[in-house]
Amino acid sequence: MSLISALANVHTTGQYGDHEDKNENNLLKISEVKNLLIVQIVQYKNSSVSVKSIDIDGLKLKDEPLRVISNNETRILWNGPKNWFLVSTKKDLLKDIIQNFSETDFAVTELSHSRAVIQIEGPEVKEVLKKGCPFNFNSLEKNNSINSTYNGIAFMVDMLNDSPDKVKVRLFALRSFGESLYHSVTDASLEFGYKSI
Amino acid sequence: MLHIKCPYCGMRSQNEFSYGGDATVKRPELNKEVSDQDWDNFVYNRKSPRGKHWELWQHISGCRQWIKVERDTATHEIFNTLKANEEIL
Repeated sequence: MSLISALANVHTTGQYGDHEDKNENNLLKISEVKNLLIVQIVQYKNSSVSVKSIDIDGLKLKDEPLRVISNNETRILWNGPKNWFLVSTKKDLLKDIIQNFSETDFAVTELSHSRAVIQIEGPEVKEVLKKGCPFNFNSLEKNNSINSTYNGIAFMVDMLNDSPDKVKVRLFALRSFGESLYHSVTDASLEFGYKSI
Repeated sequence: MLHIKCPYCGMRSQNEFSYGGDATVKRPELNKEVSDQDWDNFVYNRKSPRGKHWELWQHISGCRQWIKVERDTATHEIFNTLKANEEIL
């Protein structure tokens, strides 16, 4: 069976918007991130297990708002109290996760095919996000994540890099809303010019 | 735009929240006789006060937690927020 990515019908490479006579390095770069392992981990309310003792790919869960714990391959985003969203390029990590989290204390849900993932990079990323989302992105730092809405579409923002000239974020939306979010984000990016890669 | 301080996530726009009704309503005790009037009051009858009021809100587009919010129904000013399991003083 062949896999069709969430944005396969809308994402085409090229340069769009106000890109003429601009240095290509200063343009926004928009891409679809595919082939990620995405897992939601929820600890049951009546569970008394300490998450500090659990190790996933060398990372330990932390129940701290906005906090993303990461290494080169794996990122664990805080999704709510006792609720985490794991994103990894290591597809075989799922076995470890299932072994580490007991069924009686945790609900582990594989969401790899239920999310559309858009990555945006460039100096104007925060301006693009501000156009559709009410969150104050000036306060969002590297390795922070939030859940919010973009033009009414529920989405998650993972801040990979916050240096002003190279801001890099990943946006996660439900797969069925992926195309709508992509249209919203690319529409907001036209003003700055963007390169679709 | 109204801003609500989620006890978990911090200050967020009202767009991310969903209103959930009066936070002061208490369910009649379990396994005790309940009059029709008490049950009606619990299920249907609500006051519509002008001024400070404790309400339930859900951070539906954020951490998805239910919270209590003290809001002035006339001015929309928000004075306080609590986690759902915290008691109103």
